[in-house]
Amino acid sequence: MRLIRTGARATLLAALAVVAVGCSTARPVDLATVDSVDGPQPVGVVENPPPPSTSSAPVPQCDPTASYRPMDALPAAGQMPANTTMRRIQDAGNLIAGVDQNTFLFGFRNPTTNALEGFDIDRVREIAEAIFGDPNRVQFQVITSKEREEALEKGRVHVVVRTYTANCERWQKVNFSSIYYTAGQRLLVERSSKVTSLEQLSGKKVCAAKGSTSIKTIDAHEANPVPVAVDNWSDCLIMLQQGQVAAVSTDDTILLGMVAQDPNVKIVGEKFTQEPYGIGIPKADVDMVKFVNAVLAQSIQSGRWQGSFNRWLGRTGEQAAPPVPAAYRD
Amino acid sequence: MVTTETPGRTPGQTPAQTADQSAGARKVLGIPATAVRRARKSAASTPGRLFVIGVGLVVLALLTGVVGALSLRQKDDTVDNLIEHREPLATASQEIYRALSDADATAASAFLAGGTPPVALRERYEVDIASAGANLAEASADVGGVTEAEQQVNDLAKELPVYTGLVETARAYNRQGYPAGAAYLREASGLMRSKILPAAETLYAIDFERLVAEQEEARSVPWVTLLLVVALLVALVATQRYLTRRTNRLLNVGLLVATIAVALSLIWGTASLWIASSKVAAGEDNGTQQVESVVQARIVALKLRANETLTLVARGDGGEYEEEWKKLSKQITGDSDANLLVRAESLAANEEAATAIRDARRNAEDWMAAHAKVREKDAGGNYEGAVKVAIGDERDSAATMFSRLDANLFEALKHGREQFAAETSSASNAMLALAPGFAVLALLAAVGVTMGIRERLQEYR
Repeated sequence: MRLIRTGARATLLAALAVVAVGCSTARPVDLATVDSVDGPQPVGVVENPPPPSTSSAPVPQCDPTASYRPMDALPAAGQMPANTTMRRIQDAGNLIAGVDQNTFLFGFRNPTTNALEGFDIDRVREIAEAIFGDPNRVQFQVITSKEREEALEKGRVHVVVRTYTANCERWQKVNFSSIYYTAGQRLLVERSSKVTSLEQLSGKKVCAAKGSTSIKTIDAHEANPVPVAVDNWSDCLIMLQQGQVAAVSTDDTILLGMVAQDPNVKIVGEKFTQEPYGIGIPKADVDMVKFVNAVLAQSIQSGRWQGSFNRWLGRTGEQAAPPVPAAYRD
Repeated sequence: MVTTETPGRTPGQTPAQTADQSAGARKVLGIPATAVRRARKSAASTPGRLFVIGVGLVVLALLTGVVGALSLRQKDDTVDNLIEHREPLATASQEIYRALSDADATAASAFLAGGTPPVALRERYEVDIASAGANLAEASADVGGVTEAEQQVNDLAKELPVYTGLVETARAYNRQGYPAGAAYLREASGLMRSKILPAAETLYAIDFERLVAEQEEARSVPWVTLLLVVALLVALVATQRYLTRRTNRLLNVGLLVATIAVALSLIWGTASLWIASSKVAAGEDNGTQQVESVVQARIVALKLRANETLTLVARGDGGEYEEEWKKLSKQITGDSDANLLVRAESLAANEEAATAIRDARRNAEDWMAAHAKVREKDAGGNYEGAVKVAIGDERDSAATMFSRLDANLFEALKHGREQFAAETSSASNAMLALAPGFAVLALLAAVGVTMGIRERLQEYR
């Protein structure tokens, strides 16, 4: 009798113990749950960059496409007249050119040959050929968009040929050659996107390179898209591919290079700016500007400009006639 | 005069009282109080006092045996753990860093090579990634509840697949001849340098910290055990003096055996722990610390190599890489103590290790000269020439010098590890059979005490 009571009590205790234990282990162990990841981003991306501290003085009105008159006749290659910028370059042995290595069709490194190629690079080689008689006497210095003025002002390079838009603000710091191509800002989106203009991108991220005219245009747009500034143009393409920006907006020529690399993106909308490309030259070197303008004029006249255009931009179906300088500042 | 109490039978066990269990429980709880009362009463007489002393000594001997055996066992485990877990783990996490950093520099070199990258570079990248993955698995199996280590392992495991994905995308674009490939490679390298490598470096620091902490633990003196042994020895000697005074007998065999057993365990324990701790210390100085400075030098060399190749990839736009190079290069060149290799050489365990480190120092200087040539060519407009010196396989190219440096550092690392393993395992050998031996000696002491005290107690009957 007592044994039974003891047994019953033990059973009760055991049951209680099981319940207690059961309660404390009823929840499954937490797994390593990952809900979101920080996608990788190109180095140096800045969202909504602070507006560049432009000189407080208002930029005087000017005709940015008006350069200095080309010199009448080019001196023979390798025999630059004494006391000129060209002579200095000839004596130094190399033309130092600030270029891009990431913009397809204009200035890019061909991964197969390791050489820099493109429409801009052709312009550099023409100048080198005119000075040295050898298109390969060039030291390429890769610079980013925002380093262009500084590289010229500090004399790190002799010329900048890097989809460089001539405008009045920049004319205050550097000289430009005659315009060798006129581009216009447009929009690049995924092929499936319905966006056709910046108006539809209110609050969306739109990519452009730091220090470019394009990033200022995006920043100033009334629809308030969010500007995303990168170091190199191809960073914009990969951000679009990775879904980190809704669109890329810059010169149609640069966008054409992106479409050529990835047929799943398309250029939409009208050109909403005019971007006249000139070759940047230090402010002091007016003789060099005249020399380069003569080289450009000769290139257009001889058909080399057209050949170069067809080679690089022809593949995109783009057509253009060589630009004719309309005005000079001297 | 004679105590008739037999300890085996407690008065609380009459059948009448078992009936009422709660009353029985009260009695059981009352036992210690009863015992203390009885002990105090009987301690007034000599045999009573003797009995209490005997019980006290036996309890102290058994306690010393249990505590000592456990703590010695644990010390032995700690030393074994150094060889089997801590040191391999620290090595695994440094290999994660090395492999990943090398993968980054190799991917950049393959890009610089242009066209279809050389098979050797492709293979090197693949081996690096595989090695990083395998060692990450090792490291993740033993985070030991250290939250920060777990965090680094998580980050590494999350980001490594992302990195390789970016590199493969870059490769695909490169093969098509598009500059988007360079952009993907830059993004991959940025991810590596901003997230993955810092995580690997932190993980190594944590694992190295754990190794050093455990080495310290292995070297520490087991104070509680030492105190117990000394107390037991003093109590035994005091008891014998007391007995000699009371009974006029010079010797008590049981107690003498107990005293010898305890003295033996004290001498044995002290000697073998002293040897073990000095061996662990030797393993730490000539093994771990030498390995640590070599590892640090290797990390610096890897960072330098990545900066060297990335400067060329950036092609004139890589000022920050060259800046970092200038700062870092001081850590593996020169004759001052700032040179990690100088420090490693002073800690070198043996002549082979010292030779390897001396060779590494020469390689580092040669590499600096090759790098200067790379910069000179690049600055002078000879980019192709600069690339050739940087990644070519000529005898004096930067790539060759870096490979030699890395191979010599690996050699020094190997010697350091061997030294560590040899010293630490001889520490383990010094403690061979110490824990069970200590337990047996303590038991012998307890038996000796029992015999000795019983012999005296019987004389009072």
